Amino acid sequence: MIKKIVSKNFDIKDSFKIDVALKNERYSSLASVFEKTPLEITEIITLSGLRGKGGGGASAGCKWSLLDEYSGTKYLVVNADESEPGTFKDRRILSHDPHLLIEGIIATCYAIKSHISYIYVRGEYEEFSDILQIAIDEAYDRDYLGKNAKYLVDIVVHRGAGAYICGEKSALIESLEGNRGYPRLKPNKISPEMFFGDATLVNNVETIASVPYILKNGAKAYRKYGTPDSPGTMLFSVSGNVNTPGIYEVPFGVSMLEYINKLGGGIKGGKKLKAVIPGGASTPVLPADIVKYSSLDYENLRDNGSALGTGGMIVLDEDVCMVKALKNLLRFYHHESCGQCTPCREGTSWSDKILDKFVDKTATQKDLDILRSISISMNGKTICVFAPAASSVIDGFLKHFESEFLECIQ
Amino acid sequence: MSFVFTKKNTLKIQELKKSYPKKKALILPLLWMVQKQDNFISEAAMKKVADITEQSYIHIYGVVTFYTMFRLNKPEKKIIEVCRTLSCELNGSEDIKAYLDYNYSNEYEILEVECMGACSGAPMCTLNGKYMENVTKEELTRVLK
Repeated sequence: MIKKIVSKNFDIKDSFKIDVALKNERYSSLASVFEKTPLEITEIITLSGLRGKGGGGASAGCKWSLLDEYSGTKYLVVNADESEPGTFKDRRILSHDPHLLIEGIIATCYAIKSHISYIYVRGEYEEFSDILQIAIDEAYDRDYLGKNAKYLVDIVVHRGAGAYICGEKSALIESLEGNRGYPRLKPNKISPEMFFGDATLVNNVETIASVPYILKNGAKAYRKYGTPDSPGTMLFSVSGNVNTPGIYEVPFGVSMLEYINKLGGGIKGGKKLKAVIPGGASTPVLPADIVKYSSLDYENLRDNGSALGTGGMIVLDEDVCMVKALKNLLRFYHHESCGQCTPCREGTSWSDKILDKFVDKTATQKDLDILRSISISMNGKTICVFAPAASSVIDGFLKHFESEFLECIQ
Repeated sequence: MSFVFTKKNTLKIQELKKSYPKKKALILPLLWMVQKQDNFISEAAMKKVADITEQSYIHIYGVVTFYTMFRLNKPEKKIIEVCRTLSCELNGSEDIKAYLDYNYSNEYEILEVECMGACSGAPMCTLNGKYMENVTKEELTRVLK
């Protein structure tokens, strides 16, 4: 079931060191990259069907093409602000195969005609961004980066300081510019992000780390895996009530239950499965009877009323109290709302408070009605998708596990 | 009280300036530098950062207060952060927090934080910023003695 493309070097000892990395194919895609034109590189990525792996799932090639019409300085910003609960894949790339990321950055910069890339790493990942920085220094020493390289690319590691919302790409740029991390209003047509007014590509770590394989082996080789609409592989991860939580790379389209049972080692203590939050906390929860026929690709999970998100599954066993689980998640949203939009700032705060009443079993029918109305008021009325995500989380729990909430009503 | 960057940091700042198109982008890196140097961010330091980045003091203050990792006060004790988000809670983070509160709150400041991206190692905590995964009471007792 496992297909290692991005995770190939994860288990190799000292894989973060450049000599080990070089022995294991790192930087080997670059020779062929520079023989092609930037346009050809972008085309290969478009043909491969590579989709953004930070949660959105947009076509990477299309996103790269958006920068074509812009002249002047261009930037590549790598989003390593991984903070979605249940997601820990990017951290593994940073600490176990940073040279793969660097290789991907060089190729991507070449394709979009950029000479500088910022890697925005969440502040909590200090140990791991230190490993990344050492790898970057090594790459400078060996002339893969800097002015003596075949193609000039500089990489700057930029540390965040503890704000989930900075994983939203426009908030990330705001933060990079030295502001509070408030998401920006979206333009009325699809266009790239702007860093100090210059066109900027923002991609997730795993997306960029998938680039070298595709460029070395071709778009077709990547499409060999996965489904027609969700081609390739992804670093799916599993945590919660399972025996062997971790990161396992599999092609898109694999059965969710099979993944949890075979790779996640099944439910801890031989208990029964109750539900799965499929792609990071922000994707609606799926009860066991839907999990049975769910597969790990964008289309299937969308059709089943959830989303693939970051591919970080949180598995809940039969003993988990869904009221308490929702309380945990709403506390997270309350804590992480940036406070810019009123429906989100107030909605996340009040829904968190109302959940306390359910946990204490002092809630009334009116509280349930208010919770539902808060969910409606948060959906589609804010600048970014943070509040709609919180709203869909509430809806998911109430849709599939309403009875548990009703039991808490006096 | 005034704030002065160390010589090493002053040199680093000169280098950093070359890495960004505008000085304003230096705000987060400089604030980190301040916090590393002093263990917190003082008013004087914020004024210094404002000078270097050519921004107002209040803008810097606004930035510092947005991000949870920046500290306006010097911590009196060493810090332990316990992740409380779902995967950790499902694996006993509440017990770990209670255990730490009961036994170590005199020597350590024990904080609860949201997802740290170590869900496969739940429950997890950090000790002085360093990740500890799959923590148990026994291990904490051993490490914190």
